Amino acid sequence: MSDATLAPPPGDSRLAYLRRRLFSTWFDGIVTVVSGLALLWLITTVLSWALLDAVWSEENAEACKDAAGACWAVIDARGRLILFGLYPYEQHWRSALGCAIIIATMGLSCWPAMWGMWRLLGLWLAGFGSFVILLHGGVFGLEVVTSEQWGGLALTVFIFASVFVIGMPLAVVLALARRSNLPIISWMAAIFIDTVRSLPLLTILFAAAVVVPFVLPDWAQGTKLGRVIFGFALFYAAYQAEIIRAGIQSIPKGQEEAAQALGMTYRSTVLDIILPQAFRNTLPSTINQVVITFKETSIVTIIGFFEVTASASAAVGRGEWGAYYVEVYVFVALVYFIFVFGLSRYGAYLERRSRLSHV
Amino acid sequence: MIHKTLSALGAAAIALTLSTPATAAEGGPTIDMIKERGSLLCTGHNGSYLGFAEVDDDGAWSGFDIEMCKALATAILGSPDALQIIPVSWAQRFPALQSGDIDVIIKVTGWTMSRDTELGLQYSRPYFIGPTNIMTRADLGVSTPEDLEGGVFCINAGTSIERIVADYMGARDISYEALNFEKPEELRAALYAGRCDALAGFGPFLAATRFNAPNPDDFVILDAVLALEPEGIVAREGDDSFIDVINWMMSALLMAEEAGITMDNVDEIRANPPSSSIERLLGVSPGVGERLGLSDDWAYNMIKAVGNYGEIYERTVGDDSVYKLPRGANRLWKNGGLLYPLVLD
Repeated sequence: MSDATLAPPPGDSRLAYLRRRLFSTWFDGIVTVVSGLALLWLITTVLSWALLDAVWSEENAEACKDAAGACWAVIDARGRLILFGLYPYEQHWRSALGCAIIIATMGLSCWPAMWGMWRLLGLWLAGFGSFVILLHGGVFGLEVVTSEQWGGLALTVFIFASVFVIGMPLAVVLALARRSNLPIISWMAAIFIDTVRSLPLLTILFAAAVVVPFVLPDWAQGTKLGRVIFGFALFYAAYQAEIIRAGIQSIPKGQEEAAQALGMTYRSTVLDIILPQAFRNTLPSTINQVVITFKETSIVTIIGFFEVTASASAAVGRGEWGAYYVEVYVFVALVYFIFVFGLSRYGAYLERRSRLSHV
Repeated sequence: MIHKTLSALGAAAIALTLSTPATAAEGGPTIDMIKERGSLLCTGHNGSYLGFAEVDDDGAWSGFDIEMCKALATAILGSPDALQIIPVSWAQRFPALQSGDIDVIIKVTGWTMSRDTELGLQYSRPYFIGPTNIMTRADLGVSTPEDLEGGVFCINAGTSIERIVADYMGARDISYEALNFEKPEELRAALYAGRCDALAGFGPFLAATRFNAPNPDDFVILDAVLALEPEGIVAREGDDSFIDVINWMMSALLMAEEAGITMDNVDEIRANPPSSSIERLLGVSPGVGERLGLSDDWAYNMIKAVGNYGEIYERTVGDDSVYKLPRGANRLWKNGGLLYPLVLD
């Protein structure tokens, strides 16, 4: 019945509305004025720091010493280092294109028309394939660039996308295995999830990068980046599996029994009845986990990868720019914000889309 | 916390390798591996360590440690470009060396007993003597730590600097007040804001802090040295010939400085060597290469490519750089420092 609130009485103009909401008592008035002034002060301070008093271009870098505002010249000079890391300078276009391809692939797979197992599989194989070919090179006359030299935004986005694409199916399998009727399978899934969850991500990544080479023979090692992504994906899958399990358990048992009674196969029961509802019910926590994963990619700096955050700290780690770390971190925060905000908006869209019309 | 976890992990990783000591040495000495690969795998940093390993606008590495990597690459392979800088974090450097991800650690790595003995590492002679210094505000007119009686020190919390300052000041019975900060950025901001009279820390860090001050002339670094940490070049234990090459590389850089041989005049001096040991050093008369398994002109190539020790120092952290770090203990012995070349016979 929420649609039926009373219309404001005639004559209650916007001004009167404001007076009623903000200045109805003398105490309200003081709070309004004080917080309004504080807000105004905050906005003008930030604006004059970030825009009015700022130094914008590298040519004026000398002026940064005396400027009262931000020194965006550091982004002008070091921006390419932040966005591309240690990738060879002349080859930056490859890194940029690769990054665009991964972002486009992610964007396309968010589009409902692409939702089909084969379509998604083809899309991601094409996306990842062209990314690796572009960045690694060695074919089509492209110079070889080993994955140790990959960096910046392309690396951040690649790690994130790979972790999600490997981790999500794994999480579904783990969640189903944990609910399996066969004790050994459910037991093993539970042990796996609990073990991985009880280890810090840092430990897993460090072990994947540094300890695994001592344990596995050469041929089974893969690249360091590959091992790190795999370790990260295991970590993601353990958490995501529990989220999905919560979703599965929120579905009344009767639905599964009804499906069995109708003679539906296990495969069809899971794919058509259980999972769609489980995903819908856990959308907020899934988006949460995805957003956390995106931000956690910065941990790979500890094994020497130059993703965006590590590149940013390298960008300020040079005598002449050392004083302008605030500007650089604000820039990096903006980059993260664009992605994370995009992800959460998409999550909100999915929630709206999957809302049941008849409830 | 993170640091502790990593140290523990690093130790665990190394303990793993101890069961199979010196894996690389069995497969042939490190130098053969480097020559076969055609490049030296040397340490960079996961970010930047001011003055020692930095990344320029084009994404290329520079700095004192990087120049040493270039010198070593040139000595072994004849070109400073025969080098791959592998970025590693502090915690990762020892396991990365043991697993063969890198050939050598040149990363401001102090020569400590536990690293030398328990971790299965082999140190070269020190290539840099890292001092712990005090920087004060110039307007205080202070010239010795004694003048700072009763002053406020800004110190990085939980580091060895805290203990070094306490030891030094305690031994001299100088009272002081310590103000601890967790992050270098906070430390700097506190100093710039005048919250402390002095900042104690690793010399190169102080130099960078002074450079980044709103007005660098407001601060002076005192001559007094609170403690010294000898930084060595680290290789896997059991490959003596590789350590020999590193030690003689270092020695050749110092010998060149002592004899006044620079990047620019090395050709001139080679054409007209003033003494028989210079003749040998620059490969005019044979002997300097063969005994190390290198070419006879390795030292010449190296000096031609990166210059002598003094040139490297001044270019990266000294007077020709933005940091202007005084050479102090890193001067040659004849200028009052601690560094000296070995005898080339």
